[in-house]
Amino acid sequence: MELDFLHNGLVILDGAMGTVLQQRGLPPGDKPELLNFTNPDLLRSIYREYIGAGSQILCANTFGASAPKLAGTGYTVDQVVSAAVAIAREAAAGTDTKVSLDMGPLGELLEPLGTLSFERAYGYFKEIALAGERAGADLVSIETMTDLYEAKAALLAVKENISLPVLVTMSFEQSGRTFTGCTIPSMARTLEGLGADAVGLNCSLGPDLLAPLLRELCENTRLPVVAKPNAGLPDPATGKYGMGPEEFVAALLPCLEAGVTIFGGCCGTSPDYIRALAAALRGKTPPPRTYRSTGFVCSAMTPCFLGGVRVIGERINPTGKKRLQQALLENDLDYVLDLAVQQEDAGADILDVNVGHPGVDEVSMLPQVVKKIQSAVPLPLQLDSTNPEALEAALRVYNGKAAVNSVNGERAVLDRILPIVKKYGASVVGLCLDENGIPPTAEGRVAIARRILDAALGYGIPAEDVWIDCLTLTVSAQQEQGLETLKAVRMVREELGLQTVLGVSNISFGLPNRAAVTRSFLTQALAAGLTLPILNPNQREMMDAVAAFKVLSGEDAGCRAYIARFAGAASAQAAPKASALTLEEAVARGLEGDAGRLAKEALRTQDGLSLVENRLIPALDKVGADYEAGRAFLPQLLSAAQAAQAVFESVKTAIAESGGAPVKKGKFVIATVKGDIHDIGKNIVRTVMENYGYEAVDLGRDVPPEVILDTVKAQNIRLVGLSALMTTTLPAMEATIKLLHTLEEPPVIWVGGAVVTPDFAARMGADHYARDARQSVDIARRVLGS
Amino acid sequence: MKEPLRYLGVNGEADPALLAQLSAAADKLTGAVTPRYIWRAFSLAFGPEGPALEGAGLALPGALAAKMLSECAQAVLLVCTLGAGFEALLRAEQARGMARAALLDACGSAWVEAGCDEAEAEVSARFPGLYRTDRFSPGYGDLPLALQKDVCALLDAPRRLGVQVTDSLLLNPSKTVTAVIGLSDRPQPARVRGCGFCNLRENCQYRKGGKTCGA
Repeated sequence: MELDFLHNGLVILDGAMGTVLQQRGLPPGDKPELLNFTNPDLLRSIYREYIGAGSQILCANTFGASAPKLAGTGYTVDQVVSAAVAIAREAAAGTDTKVSLDMGPLGELLEPLGTLSFERAYGYFKEIALAGERAGADLVSIETMTDLYEAKAALLAVKENISLPVLVTMSFEQSGRTFTGCTIPSMARTLEGLGADAVGLNCSLGPDLLAPLLRELCENTRLPVVAKPNAGLPDPATGKYGMGPEEFVAALLPCLEAGVTIFGGCCGTSPDYIRALAAALRGKTPPPRTYRSTGFVCSAMTPCFLGGVRVIGERINPTGKKRLQQALLENDLDYVLDLAVQQEDAGADILDVNVGHPGVDEVSMLPQVVKKIQSAVPLPLQLDSTNPEALEAALRVYNGKAAVNSVNGERAVLDRILPIVKKYGASVVGLCLDENGIPPTAEGRVAIARRILDAALGYGIPAEDVWIDCLTLTVSAQQEQGLETLKAVRMVREELGLQTVLGVSNISFGLPNRAAVTRSFLTQALAAGLTLPILNPNQREMMDAVAAFKVLSGEDAGCRAYIARFAGAASAQAAPKASALTLEEAVARGLEGDAGRLAKEALRTQDGLSLVENRLIPALDKVGADYEAGRAFLPQLLSAAQAAQAVFESVKTAIAESGGAPVKKGKFVIATVKGDIHDIGKNIVRTVMENYGYEAVDLGRDVPPEVILDTVKAQNIRLVGLSALMTTTLPAMEATIKLLHTLEEPPVIWVGGAVVTPDFAARMGADHYARDARQSVDIARRVLGS
Repeated sequence: MKEPLRYLGVNGEADPALLAQLSAAADKLTGAVTPRYIWRAFSLAFGPEGPALEGAGLALPGALAAKMLSECAQAVLLVCTLGAGFEALLRAEQARGMARAALLDACGSAWVEAGCDEAEAEVSARFPGLYRTDRFSPGYGDLPLALQKDVCALLDAPRRLGVQVTDSLLLNPSKTVTAVIGLSDRPQPARVRGCGFCNLRENCQYRKGGKTCGA
């Protein structure tokens, strides 16, 4: 199908199918896709009404034609899609009307909210897309998405497997976010970057409430924009949608002024609405669009418009960091997440993610780390690797528009990395060096920057997505290079108008009082035009310098952020020093920072193991006893556990630095059983046990019995904890116990969770029942020793 | 503050530090997440299987529904959720520490109930002159848990609220409540009392200790 069709003039889509079918007798809750077999005449007649009303594109009745939704119906995806497309085709015979494959959400929630992986979602969409192309659809409409991640899986499945144009529309609430928190700029710029042919909004609201959101959408994309609102909101007393055709059209027309060119209707609309719409749009021409061209990266929840200064946090990089190296080698992703959270709390805007270290497989680790971080931290990520496979694997599972760090002026590197950057719509950092090294002059570096920009433009990457790193050299070794770097930054800003990146801390390497030099360089670089400093946001003085710069540059209007940053600082400083505090007290009172600091001090005179055994564990036991007696409550037990965690962290760091073997008391497996997806209870138990020194192999939630068995066998585990929340999942718990009991030497199994009682536990064959985290520790002591 | 404390198993005096942390968690939650709900009223027909929703072909089986709705001509189905936003917040808090997560979780339970109360107020305003029964949920008494699926499908909750019911009948996002409320022209007595009707019954610290909270 010619794409011009979408770009020239106005396009009229069809209206609702589901609610029209309900009006004509389909009971609510029934699957409309089955009508492709049971009542094709009804579908054809509705399509003919839409064509008569002026629809130029019909959506085939395939909205729910995904494998998960068709499960149990007796029909395959291919059968439903080919029947549905054929019905729409027959109705359109003899007209110019096009037929679109319709792809709705899968009906299962993706990770991290649900348990469906990105890869499996992609597989389901691929099956539908292939069936649609085989059936002869002219284009694809991905609709009613509320999770940007699911929309991305669907769009990639279409782009990589078939060659039809594709429209993507998502459903937003009045707040300007989807149910999963996705924003309009995140949606628009991510999907455009991934190669959608048009983007838009459908369902959820009437045209009156959708209009401001559509205006925002038009400012954030160069693509044609689609509007398919509902006929108002449904009345809860009757279930009927509130707007008639005239009112609907009157409220929709302002969207034309905003730049929308593709119009249709969603729930509650009918051929009458489309007829009124077609009449109102006849002879109208769309006004010119105003696109907000800007540097941009985002997660689904956090759009980050570039302009002014945005801080890139540098902490997730194992170079020179033994503790992070150890975490990556042990697959301890919680530690990596911890680094991400700290930087978020310190005020970073973007996080650099680098996992390159000997012994770490970047191709599998980088996407794992991306998934882990984006499950809990809403900041956009900069993926830092020279390995194209690792970059592609990570860009694929990234939910949003990422940045890639980096390319350089070498042609082979550009040709290797830039196609990947283009395919996933990322931004890219270009380093001002090439096969001949780093040019000593600013002019030489700018020449490379220009070459990188030209190459990017050649691959279709817009200039605003190209960020240039003029490279910081160490002044103690090459003193003249400090000024040269600053000059290059100024030239890139003034001559090329690109975003500039610099890792600033390198400047002071080898000097005493490094912070003074780094901070001074940072300030000068910002003044020269540095927009994206890469630094350690946990260093307060660096973030203070950025905050002060934003005041002086006028970016921080009214100095509001600066004042807020330092409000309360005076009183915090005035707080009395807790010099008399003991480690035991710090743990009991849940004072994490103090506990970690006191542990560090104690480790100068005491070895890690004795610190844990003789001071930490007794302190934890005291809180545990108070908890059992009802003198302390769950949050206090957990605070103490966290403070203990800080002590352990100090011990681990000390051991990693001395190169010794880590303290480990014994391993246990913990899991929430198959079918159960809520896991906070299990996580509480795990936290407390870990802080007694036991090593958790946490298999997560919704864990099949076989996975638990395999892990127990592979790692020779002696203790297994199972959690279940619902009566409906107790059978899965029992099945897991049965399966583990097939082992020659089965592990000790303890169970717990909302619906589990000591009685149930005994009947299922579990060895122990634990009411809470505290009892779980007692069981571990008996089984693994204390 | 009283409700989240009850969810945490705190009875009697809570220490001021705990109260301050709880209040910070509550502020964070209410600033970031608003409960969203949908409801719809149905006429009731009384057949051999007990009360049924007219036009939807859904029966509400069991003694509880029969008793609760015995004097009602209509029933409202309600779904209220804190949505995926709460889950994201809870994951982030877990990364910051389980103590903060436990506090947030307790506040979330109270906040979704507050959303149900708000929805009930809306129902009440829409039907002046009618009296509401206590709200009760699938899984209470003998009202089958399997009704979660039907209630969510009837209200189009997956599309309109982003709520899914898993095969094991869990609601996802976790802080989601489905409920039935009867509407009658006669004042309705409070019938829903005690552990059997409490949606905390399965997690309740008191109950596990053989006590009740007295509410």
